[in-house]
Amino acid sequence: MSQASVLPAGFEALAPFVAFWAADTAAGRAHCRDTADEASRVAFYNAANELVPKALAYLDEKPLEQFDESEKRLMKLVLSFAHVAMAVELQREEEPRHARYRPYMRITRAPADL
Amino acid sequence: MTTQAAVPGSAPGEEELALGTGPIPAGPYYRPEYFELEREAIFRRTWLNIGHVCELPEAGSFIVRQLDFANASILITRGKDDVIRAFHNVCTHRGTQLTQETCGNRSTFTCPYHAWTFGNDGELRAAPDMQRFYVDRKDCGLPKVSVDVCAGLIFVNLDPSPGQSLHEYVGPFVEQWEMLPVARATTFSEYVYEIEANWKLTYDNFQENYHLRFIHPRSGGGGAVGPDNPFGYPVDYGFHGEHRTQTIWTNPAPKLSPAQMLAFGKLVPALMQRGLMNHPYGRAYYALFPNLFMIGTPTQPFVHFVMPISATRSRGVIRIYWVGDDMNASERYGREFSMAMARDVHSEDRAVIEAGQRGLSSGALEHIHLQQQEVLLRHLMYHVDAKVQAYQAERAGGAA
Repeated sequence: MSQASVLPAGFEALAPFVAFWAADTAAGRAHCRDTADEASRVAFYNAANELVPKALAYLDEKPLEQFDESEKRLMKLVLSFAHVAMAVELQREEEPRHARYRPYMRITRAPADL
Repeated sequence: MTTQAAVPGSAPGEEELALGTGPIPAGPYYRPEYFELEREAIFRRTWLNIGHVCELPEAGSFIVRQLDFANASILITRGKDDVIRAFHNVCTHRGTQLTQETCGNRSTFTCPYHAWTFGNDGELRAAPDMQRFYVDRKDCGLPKVSVDVCAGLIFVNLDPSPGQSLHEYVGPFVEQWEMLPVARATTFSEYVYEIEANWKLTYDNFQENYHLRFIHPRSGGGGAVGPDNPFGYPVDYGFHGEHRTQTIWTNPAPKLSPAQMLAFGKLVPALMQRGLMNHPYGRAYYALFPNLFMIGTPTQPFVHFVMPISATRSRGVIRIYWVGDDMNASERYGREFSMAMARDVHSEDRAVIEAGQRGLSSGALEHIHLQQQEVLLRHLMYHVDAKVQAYQAERAGGAA
């Protein structure tokens, strides 16, 4: 699959992050945050930060159940941004220490998983 | 009764002072013999939240919940008559656990051992070669567990004849809870944790704000504390028999990160559209004895309970209850962020609670000290010990 079709038009800049960050479940997305190194977290955050509001505006135009595969991927990336933003904006240099605590809080369900 | 403080952290009221100001014995936070008493005096005879009606959406729906403190597995069903029932998950033939599933939809449950088959109303429907038994089939129904619902929350009570109905027990909170999102919830986010700590020590962490600025300076500090209230103390406390409340302080100038502003900017319109933003209990934080918290905050309406496993081990379940399926991408994002944010805070709590348990379990301290703004901890311990003492008196009376 070409990178152009991985995500909807206008969001190609996020294509390099799909393989790692577009996890299917909330627990999976939290795990991405837990296991990414700082450079990966910051690279994803910087690439997504300006695009997430645009992505939500784009995705809001369509019912969730009608998303095609590229739109589903974009949604998952946006949801992963929710997790990585906690690391980059709030935890900052404390993130490696904080990452040791979080896996004990096991996410077992989220509306986005259903 | 509510103790209204003019400003956060002001002097205690009459009811708080009545709880005393002395140090609290440390033993009940780690001694197995005290936990054994709590198990009998409290957990085996008190209404405990273990689920929500949205988990039983239709006739035949069932859930199974483990109550470790009682070594019990509880089967909760919704029958074709729409009635919610609860049973011990135990075949009445020779005690085999009836189902290993944790949820699903079934009208009958068949024991894997000898194929005794029970309806989801608990009645024994069929048993192979039943005529060779010396008991009537109608006397072999599943052992019933008391169950009821309040504000959508399913509670069970292992006392077959509870002294109070659930609604009597929840008392003054019932009407308020029915106005909260949880009463209309159709889905939820959930995370769970196991912790090497006593259930009270764990629970206590979540009913005092003294620790916020030290433990949550990043994840929660931006909104929970401020120059006018550097510890984030509540604006009032309420005492309602064994239960208690606090009203969370509203920070007039919370420092929110860009992602927090984006997420709540997406979530709030959806909540407004659903009519969930302006209920009167948005700053209420309820503590229902012995082990349940519920918060009215529309953007993070969570329920948190702490179930004991042993004297120094517990399990916590945190659910953020939502009304309706995600209506669009923005609401989905807002809900995911809300859970991630709450989980960051709770992750920090778990580590420090375990450190507290290690210290207490060493036996180095005979007492712990509680300040004025830790009065809810004192209130919990007061009522726990009252129950334990009443149980001991009851047992001594029975033995006399």
